[in-house]
Amino acid sequence: MKNLKLKSARARLDMSQEQLAEAVGVTRQTIGMIEAGKFNPSLQLCIALCKVLGKTLNDIFWEEES
Amino acid sequence: MRKNNLDEMQEKKLLSIEHNGMWLAFWGLVAAIMIQTCLGADFKQLAGEWVILMVLSIYTLIACIKNGIWDRRLKPNLKTNTLMSLLAGLAVFVIFGIEFHLNNQHGLVLPTAAFIGISTFLLCLAALQFTSYLYKKRKELLEQACDK
Repeated sequence: MKNLKLKSARARLDMSQEQLAEAVGVTRQTIGMIEAGKFNPSLQLCIALCKVLGKTLNDIFWEEES
Repeated sequence: MRKNNLDEMQEKKLLSIEHNGMWLAFWGLVAAIMIQTCLGADFKQLAGEWVILMVLSIYTLIACIKNGIWDRRLKPNLKTNTLMSLLAGLAVFVIFGIEFHLNNQHGLVLPTAAFIGISTFLLCLAALQFTSYLYKKRKELLEQACDK
């Protein structure tokens, strides 16, 4: 499942995938894969992403039941 | 030690590539040994492959038991161990049957191949029962360590 919350939080800060990747110490490919829902990041990386984006884990990674 | 150039996603991908490479090497060696045995090669001719296969197998076995891991799908019980040993015994019976047949040892093909097959079955069953016992003991120890 695509992670649109991550994509929109990044876009709101006007950050490119490259910039976000550099900020958390991974490759741009990894950010692309997380946003595309093709890679499940570790909790450590989730926390790093949330800190850079100024969001909580719930904001970015919690899926509401539909 | 040098810094790792890979991030966690690339590390996971590399582990998956290495995993596939390891199993390719494992089954490649098994196939090479089986084919050479069928063609009548003696032990000297396949000693290299055999040593590599044994090192690979013993390393995997020790590492798995040390970490309390048995298998993804198979359970370490008598029924599964017997079934797996039967398959190994049957494979050895067929391979040696072919080898003896190709080497024109017609008179003793079936009884000799059957004896080797049955011996393989018994040895595999004993080895599997013993290693599953070691696995269960190790798993228990690891669980106790987690509780502390």
